[in-house]
Amino acid sequence: MRALVLTLAASTSLIAVPIAAPAADAPLLIPRYSEETKTSGINSIYAGDWQYMVGGGVATFDCDGNGYADMFLAGGEAPAKFYRNTSKHAGPLTFKAETSGLELESVTGAYPLDIDSDGNVDLVLLRVGENVVMRGLGGCRFKRANEDWGFDGGDAWSTALAATWEHGSDWPTIAIGNYIDRREEMFPWGSCTENWLHRPVADQGQRRFAPPIALKPSFCPLSMLFTDWNRSGTPSLRVSNDREYYKGGQEQLWHVEPGKEPALYTPQEGWKNLRIWGMGIAGYDLNLDGYPEYFLTSMADNKLQTLAKPVEGGKSEPGYSDVAFAKGITAHRPYAGGDVRPSTAWHAQFEDVNNDGRADLFVAKGNVADMPDFAAKDPDNLLLQKPDGKFEEAGDKAGVENYATARGAALADFNLDGLLDLVVVNRWETAKVWRNTTEKAGNWIEIQLKQDVTNRDAIGSWLELRRGDTILRREITVGGGHVSGQLGWRHFGIGEAEGADLRVIWPDGRASDWQPVAGNGFYILERDKPVKTWRPG
Amino acid sequence: MKIIRRFAGMILLVLVAGFIQPAFAVAQPDSRQAEQVMRTWYKLVLELVRHTPTYSPPVASRSFAYLGVTGFEALATGNDGLKSLAGQLNALQPGPQREAGKVYDDALVVDAALSFAVQNFFSNTGPTGQRALKAMQAKMRERAVSGLPDDVISRSEAHGRAVGEHILSWSKEDGGAVIENMGFPLEYTLTEGPAHWVPTSLIAQQQLPLLPNWGKNRTFAMANGATCGLPAPLEYSEDKNSTFYKDAFEVYTAVKDLTPEHRVIARFWSDDPMLSPTPPGHWISIALQVLEHEKAGPEQTADVLARLGVVLADSFIGCWDAKFRYDLVRPLTYIRRVIDPKWEAILNTPPFPEYPSGHSTQSGAAADVLTKAFGDNFAFEDATHAADGLKPRPFPSFWAAAEEAGISRLYGGIHFRAAIERGLDQGRCIAGYVNALKTRK
Repeated sequence: MRALVLTLAASTSLIAVPIAAPAADAPLLIPRYSEETKTSGINSIYAGDWQYMVGGGVATFDCDGNGYADMFLAGGEAPAKFYRNTSKHAGPLTFKAETSGLELESVTGAYPLDIDSDGNVDLVLLRVGENVVMRGLGGCRFKRANEDWGFDGGDAWSTALAATWEHGSDWPTIAIGNYIDRREEMFPWGSCTENWLHRPVADQGQRRFAPPIALKPSFCPLSMLFTDWNRSGTPSLRVSNDREYYKGGQEQLWHVEPGKEPALYTPQEGWKNLRIWGMGIAGYDLNLDGYPEYFLTSMADNKLQTLAKPVEGGKSEPGYSDVAFAKGITAHRPYAGGDVRPSTAWHAQFEDVNNDGRADLFVAKGNVADMPDFAAKDPDNLLLQKPDGKFEEAGDKAGVENYATARGAALADFNLDGLLDLVVVNRWETAKVWRNTTEKAGNWIEIQLKQDVTNRDAIGSWLELRRGDTILRREITVGGGHVSGQLGWRHFGIGEAEGADLRVIWPDGRASDWQPVAGNGFYILERDKPVKTWRPG
Repeated sequence: MKIIRRFAGMILLVLVAGFIQPAFAVAQPDSRQAEQVMRTWYKLVLELVRHTPTYSPPVASRSFAYLGVTGFEALATGNDGLKSLAGQLNALQPGPQREAGKVYDDALVVDAALSFAVQNFFSNTGPTGQRALKAMQAKMRERAVSGLPDDVISRSEAHGRAVGEHILSWSKEDGGAVIENMGFPLEYTLTEGPAHWVPTSLIAQQQLPLLPNWGKNRTFAMANGATCGLPAPLEYSEDKNSTFYKDAFEVYTAVKDLTPEHRVIARFWSDDPMLSPTPPGHWISIALQVLEHEKAGPEQTADVLARLGVVLADSFIGCWDAKFRYDLVRPLTYIRRVIDPKWEAILNTPPFPEYPSGHSTQSGAAADVLTKAFGDNFAFEDATHAADGLKPRPFPSFWAAAEEAGISRLYGGIHFRAAIERGLDQGRCIAGYVNALKTRK
């Protein structure tokens, strides 16, 4: 029995106004981004031919303990690169390439997480070939740990990852999605290879991975996410699959419960057949009902799914309504550049880029590779959420009208000024970085969660920010997007509010007390301790 | 009774392996393998249709027609028993001929012709399709030329390519060569009034109907898209005593009371674009299975694939002419408006007008062509969707399959009965023109 049974309906029934409560007809604050690629020190190309047509991820994490997010960029057939963040507080974005041990070839993407809970961030590198777990040694040095941790990297074309700490476990469970059989030339369609679930060994004292089990059937995923979609307290595994290559496949949702074999949600349980070119997952509670919406990227169409019939106590059926069209967030065609052909969407991420208290959406776009049916000039999207919950395109006005062939991306506050900056990985040309230079943006709060002993970054928590009747919620996850992961500060915009109340529902279901925090500050919330203020050096 | 019991994937492996191994190891020209060349290329084409987003059913049918004619003409130029389709198909002029007294290898001619045709008709397939195409070209050619003299190789390949170029040139002015935005117009004015089509999808691209001008394309065997025109659909009415309401209520009830068997049928013939070889590809798949089972030679293989491709293409032109002439509302719209606002169809409602049913038109047409080729009451088992986990279905005849394909659209909740019955009639009419073509001297 979980320590806390959430009463979501009670809290959401009162929610009628966003946290900043702007007037419904107030003009949207268009954020301003300045591209600083050339001066940033970033120069990393996601290179390679057919085997790298998908992938191209970025990982952001703090590996030197200064609070600033460092960066790892997949290089495809070229060696990956690590960049230490040398930016100054509120200053230009600067990075320095360093040898870290992460400079492997054939990397498609990466996700940071502290696997061994030693306080140093580790990375899982997804590759064409053997996947590798890299143990963080501190000081941004990393060392291969497959053998030490019993991690079987296999030999596949890996394109998705999600991680969680199952209840009672002191070691993470990692799901890895694998794409098609790369050795099949003439008839690769229908050759999806098996996805893997790397669970801890049964003996809790060993702290290592058991041999992976196959998640069958496998349908060529390009994104996976452990998410507590029904607020049962136990995350399920959401898998977004590329219909280009599967036969008989569809989107998937897996029960992953401690001590049990994973099992697919079935039509009898309410799961509905959906078949898309699934490429990326972004989750966020947009309608403030306590349950995450999911944006699923695809080609010529993107989905925004909202739980059709939420039921308290984790009893909801996994039936979703597609509200992308109603919300103006289909992002199915370039909004600028003159190319009218359909778009190809990859990484997606909800964040509040103008600090108005509403989550916005960034979508990386780019043709697979010379597909004439799809736009060649396919600018990335920056869709701003309006007070009525609909979205408005602002990529060009904001200055992130990127026409490169984008894949992975990350919105992160690289210079710790409370405004979310942007890095986008591009195929065949260097990754690009933009500094968020928005003037008169709203107030903000950034938070890090900490636990002792295990799962130190509290993956699986729900972070809540309350002001009046409005509660903003973020699920703390590892996974999703397009082969791009982040570990670090969790950002909220709060508009004109001067502060808010903060609490966390920890992975075991226990809720902290509400604690007041002032706007425009960084906070570290450690379990069973008062919230601590943190300031960038 | 003839029963085919094979799975599509197994057929594919056998075909590729069988063709690629000993068949071309002979030194002498040998036409026996030309049929294998055709079937192998078509197997790839079925995948390319599925995996090239432009290939909605009408667009796919067009390519099947040109590929079929390409294969047939490539073979016919060296076969005294075959009669060219030039002068029979609209605007098709006589093509390049083989040099008298020179030796050609039929299989290599057909391979070169189809290799060229597939590369051009699927030029917009994605990187995986392009990679597969190159691999297929290389491996097919490697085996095809094995043991042949250089002059036969160069002569055969040049002729095959010339035939391919001739057909490609013919195709360019038919009105269907350029497809933009996956066939969805960027501007289109919907017809006003409750009887007419409105979008049924939440996909932004599908707010305007697919290929509204496809019915104006140049036809192949019949005179034009209106040649097999249909009477007007039932008069629109929301009166519960009207025939229109009763037809709609039949769809509503059929979906509401769907039996497991009807659900299987709806799914089996769903043939969704980008998730299957599409409805015309389904019939091509049936033909390939039958041709292989019957051990059909090159002449019959080429004949069947050409006629079937042509009749499928003409079916979509004729059907689209009627669809946009009458522009009838879909059951989903009507039932939600008049009967049950929360009603859901089993299948995704296609993004274009309802009347007639495209699957019915083209299935009726295909059934008539295949019946003429293989006879009445030709029993077969259809394993088209085996790789997708759908069990093969047995049919006592091609018409039984066509009728099941038609009624599947009612079970699926996307067509009224009248659209199905009239669609099958339209297909029969269109097939009459194709069956009248002379392919043998």
